Amino acid sequence: MLTKIQTLTTEFLQALEKITDQKKLEELRLVYLSRNGSIASLFEELKNVSKDEKPLIGKELNQLRKLAEEKFNEKKSAFEESFTKNSQQIDLSLPGRKAELGHKHLLVQTLDEIKSIFKGLGFSIFEGPELESDYYNFEALNFPADHPARDMQDTFFVNKNFLLRTHTSPVQVRLMEKFQPPLRAIMPGKVYRNEAISSRSHCMFHQVEGLCVDTDITFAELKGTLVAFAKQFYGKELNYRFRPSFFPFTEPSAEMDITCFLCKGKGCRVCKHSGWLEILGCGMVDPNVFEYAKYDNEKYTGYAFGMGIERTAMLKYGITDIRTFFENDVRFLKQF
Amino acid sequence: MKISLNWLKEYIDLSGISVDEIVSKLTMSGLEVESVEDQNEMFKNFIVGFVEEKEKHPNADKLSLCVINNGTEKLKVVCGAPNVAAGQKVVFAQIGAVVPNSGMKISKAKIRGAESNGMLCSESELGLSEDHSGILVLDASLKEGTSVSEALHLDDVLFELGITPNRADALSHIGVARDLAALFQRKLKLPAISIPQSTKEIDQSASIEIADSKNCPRYSAKVILHVDIKESPDWLKRRLKAIGLRPINNIVDVTNYVLHEIGQPLHAFDLDKLADKKIIVKTAEAESHFTTLDGKERKLNEHVLLICDGEKPVAVAGVMGGENSEVTSLTKNILLESAFFHPSSIRKTSKFLGLTTDASYRFERGTDPSATIYAAERAAQLIAELGNGEVVNGAIDIYPNKIVAKEITLRLYQVERVLGYSIPYENIKNILSSLGFALKNANEKSITVLSPTFRPDIEREIDLIEEIARINGYDLIPTISKIAIPISEKIDESAFVDELRTLATGLGFNEILSIPMVTEKAAGLFGNPIGLLNPQGSEMGYLRTSLLGSALPVVEKNINAGEKNLKFFEIGKVFAKVNDEIVSFSDFVEEERFLLLLTGKISEKEWYADARECDFYDLKASVNECFQKKTLDNLLNDSYYHNGNKIFDYFFTTSSKKTVLGSGGKVRKDVLKQFGISQDVFCFEGSVERLKSLTQKEKTFNELLRFPKVMKDFAFVLAKDISAENVTAFIKKKGSGILKDVHPFDVFEHASLGAEKKSIAFSLTYFDTERTLTDEEVDKDFQSLIEIVQKEFNAVLRGK
Repeated sequence: MLTKIQTLTTEFLQALEKITDQKKLEELRLVYLSRNGSIASLFEELKNVSKDEKPLIGKELNQLRKLAEEKFNEKKSAFEESFTKNSQQIDLSLPGRKAELGHKHLLVQTLDEIKSIFKGLGFSIFEGPELESDYYNFEALNFPADHPARDMQDTFFVNKNFLLRTHTSPVQVRLMEKFQPPLRAIMPGKVYRNEAISSRSHCMFHQVEGLCVDTDITFAELKGTLVAFAKQFYGKELNYRFRPSFFPFTEPSAEMDITCFLCKGKGCRVCKHSGWLEILGCGMVDPNVFEYAKYDNEKYTGYAFGMGIERTAMLKYGITDIRTFFENDVRFLKQF
Repeated sequence: MKISLNWLKEYIDLSGISVDEIVSKLTMSGLEVESVEDQNEMFKNFIVGFVEEKEKHPNADKLSLCVINNGTEKLKVVCGAPNVAAGQKVVFAQIGAVVPNSGMKISKAKIRGAESNGMLCSESELGLSEDHSGILVLDASLKEGTSVSEALHLDDVLFELGITPNRADALSHIGVARDLAALFQRKLKLPAISIPQSTKEIDQSASIEIADSKNCPRYSAKVILHVDIKESPDWLKRRLKAIGLRPINNIVDVTNYVLHEIGQPLHAFDLDKLADKKIIVKTAEAESHFTTLDGKERKLNEHVLLICDGEKPVAVAGVMGGENSEVTSLTKNILLESAFFHPSSIRKTSKFLGLTTDASYRFERGTDPSATIYAAERAAQLIAELGNGEVVNGAIDIYPNKIVAKEITLRLYQVERVLGYSIPYENIKNILSSLGFALKNANEKSITVLSPTFRPDIEREIDLIEEIARINGYDLIPTISKIAIPISEKIDESAFVDELRTLATGLGFNEILSIPMVTEKAAGLFGNPIGLLNPQGSEMGYLRTSLLGSALPVVEKNINAGEKNLKFFEIGKVFAKVNDEIVSFSDFVEEERFLLLLTGKISEKEWYADARECDFYDLKASVNECFQKKTLDNLLNDSYYHNGNKIFDYFFTTSSKKTVLGSGGKVRKDVLKQFGISQDVFCFEGSVERLKSLTQKEKTFNELLRFPKVMKDFAFVLAKDISAENVTAFIKKKGSGILKDVHPFDVFEHASLGAEKKSIAFSLTYFDTERTLTDEEVDKDFQSLIEIVQKEFNAVLRGK
């Protein structure tokens, strides 16, 4: 029995020596080390060995198995290592197989950012039609017919009573028709103005409208909310001011300026040397608008605001021509 | 609107207040200062120069070499003006001066070989007038070296104000001064009127009748006799020039001066040209014509309010006078009109005529009906002073229904309710009275005021609150740092399309935002388009009826820019008429759509693969991927149309039950040609609303399979016109319950298969969710399918 063990040991080691690839190594494993392999069959024969010899032979057999497994594993890892070395022969520097993500339009990305900030402040998001009636776009927003306030917004008309909305404010009216306070919502969307197309203005652009109505809404809350928004959107270090302005559907009305972030308030071409950038118009909802909505002016107050997206994105990303957004050159789209 | 600081100082003492403070207070109280022009700053390096010598430039015919004495030294200057001569006093721009009209900075230069140390200026270069015929020659008595600011009284500061449409009262120097008086708590001083007594009474000089008192509630007039029409004195010309007006003669200049002083537009008629020395205010006849003093004949309609004399129209009320009654150098006697017209009447007329003047601009915003007499007297006094005229005693004043000051009550708690902070009672009272509100009744709980007639915008309590807020300063309104949010459900109507965007970008599509205004042809391709009344040219005359109509121009632009391989998506509205006449929202549809578009190569030649043009199947896969994510997986079915329609050569539609969600395919060449595109375009357009309506249900979890799948495949040779979908459906139907999926994975055509034949290979998936399948039962089903497919489609099993 001992001789058999000896012979098998030599035979295994010699066979192992000759192995040159992983396939042959596996075959070798099957011959010697598998459940039906020659080492296992020697263990089978151990049954027939006398009691006296058993411990010695058993020990020898165990040693054989241990040795065989060790040597086998050594060889196996040697192969694996050499495989890794071989892999350096493929050119890893070749470009990867193409997988391209698409890009949302930069204006949509800007809107996304604004929406997520207002969602955090408890606002819902609503949408409304772009082809509007005079009633929703002007009348119910307290723009009397034949009033110069209508000149503030050059309008594309479909006929006397229907037009392309000039602002997102009509969605306010629609919301107030549909819901009772409390209301806290923003309304993003496309708007249209009949203005000559140039690097600074376009006949279509995007706005985000805001409306908040409840029993105790004040101008102080309007300021607090919009400052919180501006700090998240434009940066914590921001300086701001609210100055009186005029919109027919708010009273008191204001425009919010922030320090020009290009010149840090020193004055430059972009801020027309004022050091300030106008970012939005806002104000307390005019009581006449509540009258149209049949809200009780003695019970509720509210604020509203509206901001353009294009100018904001232009300032933020250094785009000097508003037409870039709507030319949709794929080289532009893929930049953001 | 331009406001002069020097002029303002006639009505308010601004001593001790800097220009910066004025600018900041005005802007922060609602009269936005858009720009400031400080003449001292502008004319810093401009001085009076004495032309000591002048000779011809040796190398240039039109240039002169001059020696200029600037008071301290003599400098060589090249000058191109034809009128320059030795002995003149001129405006000399020294090195470092910035020329106002061009922004050019003067530096030492060599002009055609001659040294030049500055420039001699024309009025146009100084921004004083349009005159660029030659240099400005100054009064000989001026001393060389004197600053031009001092010599020409160019020491003003001019503010460009952006006045919002509600602030009609601020469209004048006194109006702005009134706000400053409230802001700085100083006194407003109005010019006093004193007119010498005349021997004549107005009743004998002229008569006035108002036929349309709705549109002309008040008409006042003064008469001035025996005036000399001449140039205005320097101080008056300077005032007008400073704010950008061109002086004309002493009469016109005075009316302009008073307009910008008080805000009341005036019109001077040559009294002798008024038939019967009579004024009648009435509306025009439809289709009549009238020549305004700019020499243009204008067509009128029955809404235009006219000023007529005993025979004919002499002015378009509130807009512009007529040529036939204009003041000329021969005029002797003047009737001065100072009226109040109804704002909307003037606005309608101004819009109809397409003519806006300084007068109409103010009338349509609302002038002060109480100021007509004051303004007329102020002007009459000045005309008499400047033209040696005689102001006839009294004024004609037709004012049938007096416009009275409105009474408004402010409840003090409302100030805090709206603004979020309280303002002391005394401050509120102060602000209101300094703005011209008469306090009728005031206590700690409420204040009742009379709103002055020059503030037509102040009608309600909220308007008073705004006045108080803006004068007190918006800066003082607290910026609170906590808000209370109702815990009710928040809605996001944009969430659905935002998810579609995420899906489309995940599939490699880039988002475009195209302009919905397109040509009639592009709009008409896809439906009954809605046209615009006032488009920006025919290129943008109609609203798109499909996203494709506005996306194809974008595709064309990109291709022209050399970007030929495009994967685009767009989400946007389309519009179409339901009825020809649009009178309500039901006469048209506005629908949100979703577009996927492919053109060019889907992949370029790479080291691992060949280039491949995009095709129908790329489109179909992307559509299915986007839509299946948004619906319950097995709801959708596609139908195929080989024969196409007017947009597509061939296409498919995706539906859920009977609702068609959209269609897509290969866009026809003739359609593409209209957009200048010559490469293949595949596109799908679907309805967002319809898709949205399907996706209300929540998805539920499918238990994961715990038993092995068995995969089998076979291929058949069959007739070319049998669709893969047909065979797939047949196999699915005929297979036993353990056959769970059939997928065509290879299509092969070759002459060796026979003419009009093809081979389709299918892979079959068998499993059972409850147990492991036996080889026998799978094989039985598989074999029987081979039999019946062969029979059904006259197909032959391809050798294994």
